[in-house]
Amino acid sequence: MDLKPSPERQILFDTLTKYFENEYKIADRNTAAHSELGYSKEAWERMRDLGILESLIDPELNGFGGTPLDISAVFEALGRGLVVEPFLETGLVSTKILGKGNENQKKLVADLLENIALPTFCHSENDTDYRKSYVKTKLVPDKEGNFLVTGKKVMIKNASGASHLIITCRSSGDYADEKGITIACIPSNRSGIDIKSFSSIDGGRVSDIHLENVAVLKTEIIGNDGKGFEIISEAIDFGILAICSEALGIMEKIKELTLDYLKTRKQFGVPIGKFQALQHRMAQLLVEIEQARSAVVNATINFFDSNERSSVISAAKFSIGKIGMLVAEESIQLHGGMGMTWEYDLGHYAKRLVLIDHEFGDEDFHLQKYIELQ
Amino acid sequence: MDLNFTEQQQEFQKEVRDFLDENLDTKVSEKVRNGISISKSESEDWHKKLNNKGWLAGPWPEEFGGQDWGVVEKFIFEEECGASGAPRIVPFGVGMLAPVLMKFGSDEQRKHWLPRMLKGEDWWCQGYSEPGSGSDLASLKTTAVKENDYYIVNGQKTWTTFAQHANMIFCLVRTSNEGKPQEGISFLLMDMNSPGIEVRPIITLDGSHEVNEIFFSDVKVPLENLVGEENKGWTYAKYLLTHERTGNANVAISKRKIKKLRKLASETKKNGTALVNDPLFASRLAQIEINLQNLEITNLRTLSSVESGEAPGAESSIIKILGSEIEQDIDNLTRKSLGKRAFINEPDAFSVGYNGPEIEPKAAATASGKYFNHRKKSIYAGSNEIQKNIISKMMLNL
Repeated sequence: MDLKPSPERQILFDTLTKYFENEYKIADRNTAAHSELGYSKEAWERMRDLGILESLIDPELNGFGGTPLDISAVFEALGRGLVVEPFLETGLVSTKILGKGNENQKKLVADLLENIALPTFCHSENDTDYRKSYVKTKLVPDKEGNFLVTGKKVMIKNASGASHLIITCRSSGDYADEKGITIACIPSNRSGIDIKSFSSIDGGRVSDIHLENVAVLKTEIIGNDGKGFEIISEAIDFGILAICSEALGIMEKIKELTLDYLKTRKQFGVPIGKFQALQHRMAQLLVEIEQARSAVVNATINFFDSNERSSVISAAKFSIGKIGMLVAEESIQLHGGMGMTWEYDLGHYAKRLVLIDHEFGDEDFHLQKYIELQ
Repeated sequence: MDLNFTEQQQEFQKEVRDFLDENLDTKVSEKVRNGISISKSESEDWHKKLNNKGWLAGPWPEEFGGQDWGVVEKFIFEEECGASGAPRIVPFGVGMLAPVLMKFGSDEQRKHWLPRMLKGEDWWCQGYSEPGSGSDLASLKTTAVKENDYYIVNGQKTWTTFAQHANMIFCLVRTSNEGKPQEGISFLLMDMNSPGIEVRPIITLDGSHEVNEIFFSDVKVPLENLVGEENKGWTYAKYLLTHERTGNANVAISKRKIKKLRKLASETKKNGTALVNDPLFASRLAQIEINLQNLEITNLRTLSSVESGEAPGAESSIIKILGSEIEQDIDNLTRKSLGKRAFINEPDAFSVGYNGPEIEPKAAATASGKYFNHRKKSIYAGSNEIQKNIISKMMLNL
């Protein structure tokens, strides 16, 4: 049995980690994360030049990765770096969906690699209903055999800088049916699209997108009409695997910061790490983070097992949600006032870690889903 | 056992309610309810209204302009204010320094500073923590050296709440290095406008500005600004800290927040049904409510023993731990209940000049920010770990 990452993936992870440590300063990241765009275009281009995007994309689409193992290794490194650039929504989920499309849509992946396109995934329609099949946005045919789309998408990350929107629509059936979901990919400047964006507490921007009779050409449909669920379901599962790995990277970084603080911060004449009450809490964090890693490993190695995937994905997302909040809260508490400041890195890691629970279904959602699957 | 209020206390409760109905500005209470910091002038206006009624310093003895409230009256007043969304009285002057001056200050100090507190002529802040001295407060290093008619103060304080508003600070300073660290500390009053004082903001992880660092370099402080005796400051500081830690139950505030959360969860749908009926969510909410009910009784039990003459001991530590954790639990569940809307962080949505897109429910504009900001509650005023040390020592004799 060998559950260690392969040497190539270890090298990829180490290279990226070193790169972020040296070249991606958290203070600069924060400035970009809370700017009008929500991230740094310049940092995005530098990271693209490094080949991070290719490592998320299948070889048939000109990448050199794209497997669950690649994705997990890269996102753990992105988590450690607290990278706010849109690798998740654009680099991973969007390219997984576009890869199932026609030649034009596959070309968009190439354009993304060339830095001349920036598609993003617009799916959520309800703040608290995390079901993948929840799609109300209506797709109706017009006389020419094309379509019109009307509806609303909510809390979409990084939509304001996107060149293309990948929109899930309902062409038939009830709002939570798996059948009758159709995916469209259209330029973001098409008329009828109104994007309202907000500052996101973990960095970046989140947007509500109103779609009012937006024209969609029949060539802009991805896959078959009404058969989009399987495509988005797998892409979202990749997204969950990625965000869980990101959380793992964040937790490992938080563990290092907190351990360092326990060893250097002195009160009552000794490093506070000498107090047994704090030792036990730190030890508990280590125990929990090991469990979180195992949940991610389990989801990674069973990703293509069709009997297991939904269950291990929900188990991982539940574990990450529960453990992530504990790690965030405990690490702040162990730091005392220092953990509360903007200037110190920890708080920014903690914010992202907690908010990961609000993406792709929270711990309660995935616990219930896990129960249903047994 | 009778945990009901007396008839007189019930009348007082009604009087407080009526007063709040009439005098509390709804714009201010909306801010308070949504966890938005109110401005200095909004705070001062509220203090003025309370002072006109004689309630700014209700627990003070009548000879200093108070009402001689007992613990129950103080409790009733604070609970009613909390329930209605009234701003908290800024505690540093009337709630913290005043009891110290009354007990340990000189006649001149009492005559000079207490009336100014009531009239709102000074805004006090508290200079306790230092970068190297948090939980281990007695290790503080800021020095005060006597030179002719002055102390010369050098050093640094941190986590100073609202120092940006303050014109006065009460400080713990080191006047001696002999004996135990506790034995060389003195209690000084300083004018924040003195040459040599510099205030630098500390921005917290949610982006707000409440706390500051203060740097002292050769600051001249008149000798008459020493409170009590030199090197006895630790006794006064401990006395003050017991005052800081009472009134931390915040039962009414937590009740108000739970009510709001319940309403939010009944208007929110999850998988087609109201969130409040979702078994996992309902279980989380019910457990917090039960904890809060228990805390309410724990708090009343403590009050009743104080009222019957027992000194508040480590019980205030129990209340501080529970009060802070329950409030954090509510903030946590509020964030969770908002689902994806919890990403939004737009505290300006409650300001007059906000021209961004509408946020629905409006609570989402600040819910996550508040959740993160309120992590401070288990850290400040003696971290909950320090409270457990106190309980271990004083109640368990370990």
